[in-house]
Amino acid sequence: MEPWVVATSLIFAYLLATIVLGVIANQRMSVDMEDFLLYGRKAGFVVLYLTVVATFHSAFAFLGSGGFFYTHGIGFWAAGTWTVLVGAVTYVLGPRIWALGKANGYITPADMLADFYESEAVRVAVAIVSVVFTILYIQVQAQGLGYIINIASGDRISFELGTLILLVVAAAYLMAGGLRAVYWTDVIQGVWMYIAVWVGAMYLAYDLFGGPLQLWAEVRAQRPDLLSLPGPEGFFTPGMWLGMTITLSFGIIFQPHMMIRYYTAVDAKTLKLLGATTPIYLMTLYVPAALVGLGGAVAMPGLDVPDRIFPELLFAHAPPILTGVILAGATAAAMSTLDSILHANMSVLTRDVYQRYMAPDREQSHYVWVGRGIVAALLVVGYFLSVRTFDFLVVLVTLSGSGALQLMPAILGVCFPTQRTLTRAGVLAGLGVGLGVLYVTLVVMPHPLGLHGGIWALLFNTAVALGVSAVTDPPSQATRDRIHGEVERQIYPETSS
Amino acid sequence: MSQQPRSHFVPRTREGRIATAGFVVLFLLAMPPFTHVILDQPDVWIGGAPLLFRGLLAIYAALIGVLLWAWNKGV
Repeated sequence: MEPWVVATSLIFAYLLATIVLGVIANQRMSVDMEDFLLYGRKAGFVVLYLTVVATFHSAFAFLGSGGFFYTHGIGFWAAGTWTVLVGAVTYVLGPRIWALGKANGYITPADMLADFYESEAVRVAVAIVSVVFTILYIQVQAQGLGYIINIASGDRISFELGTLILLVVAAAYLMAGGLRAVYWTDVIQGVWMYIAVWVGAMYLAYDLFGGPLQLWAEVRAQRPDLLSLPGPEGFFTPGMWLGMTITLSFGIIFQPHMMIRYYTAVDAKTLKLLGATTPIYLMTLYVPAALVGLGGAVAMPGLDVPDRIFPELLFAHAPPILTGVILAGATAAAMSTLDSILHANMSVLTRDVYQRYMAPDREQSHYVWVGRGIVAALLVVGYFLSVRTFDFLVVLVTLSGSGALQLMPAILGVCFPTQRTLTRAGVLAGLGVGLGVLYVTLVVMPHPLGLHGGIWALLFNTAVALGVSAVTDPPSQATRDRIHGEVERQIYPETSS
Repeated sequence: MSQQPRSHFVPRTREGRIATAGFVVLFLLAMPPFTHVILDQPDVWIGGAPLLFRGLLAIYAALIGVLLWAWNKGV
């Protein structure tokens, strides 16, 4: 049997399995928003762990990261910094967000921020940032899926058709089973993608070089420019290293599809253990990516699209069955992020827009059906955004993270009680300035002075938020007591009674 | 809780201070200028891989160790 038949068949078998899981999740679902949007706030450690890591690692983990090592060399091992920081931020911030969500019935990030800052304008601004910047992420994942199926089928299934098929499948199981379906499929996807990346990389390392150490030696002999900073094209300057660390940790966590996961935990202790252990998975997934990218630069130089290095090596050197299993793992990586983003956008638009401003007093089942309709609309938008082609997925991921990063001052103001708090005017002014500076420093004049545009935007955002907050009215004392009091009781229960 | 809240940016327990200080110090070792000046030595290899790779791997492992220690101590 030809390799493309095996690879494509395995991907479609995997897609069928996700649809079956969606149907089973649908049968277990009760028709209310907390169950449909938040898994009933009862996600245990194993499910939460695998959904968080599978959601964090996307098409980028399979394609973009290998492509980045291929082009820019060992500097991409900086990835470990942001994966460890994701763990630390989850450890510190997760229990606070969980406690506030449980106490006040929050479903979306905008619920929390609008409640604390007592402002519908804050709700709308956060909802807009959440949707706009995560729609970019839908584009990234859908493009990754299109690439994968296009490569797996040996160009027999076009990029556009592949993107459409995989978007439809993800939307279908999400509409059927809500977040439960997303979590269950993420469990499979999280395990599959991890094994696939490691097995594929090790197979290639032994087949092409005789082992990982021989691979390193060959890179040293043939491409020593890949083994030093800032890399062959001078990308990994200190400013970019710092900028990618911040934007790809805080910036990803503050996206709604990650923050909503904190609301869904069964308890705060689960979130702390999650924070302490997720970096093990997240960081170690970049080790095989380094082997693929660096080894690929030696074994298959001159690729027009570096992001394709992993599948191209597999097709050239691995048995068809192994290639199929691994590409199905790549599909899993992209779909596990895509379904979570579709779900988060659905939650924001259903909760923060439709329920809040258009139909506030309808039955729970009505909102569930509206959410399903929104997923269908997002599918159409995501598809049309996706049929434009980009070479480097990582650049788009960075852009997405930089936008959500601008929510950082507002979120820290809620979750970290201090004597002087931010105000609604400060938060809105900071967010507006931050997004304006982000446009300038990422699009008009990228990364001034070698510092990542997202960091420039965050610095201006924070300065303006603090400055305006110093001369405007803070949230009411009652609200601050209620919300900061809840955080105090959660984090320091022994001294807050 | 109508009095001014105590800041949550400063840890209040001994274990919290140790974990925070340990994490921050180790994290700085994974940041410029340490990475670009000390770890970026293409001629120095450890265990068959460049110092930059092995050194950062050790730092990342230590950072995860701090998080696990904090969790074990109930921080």
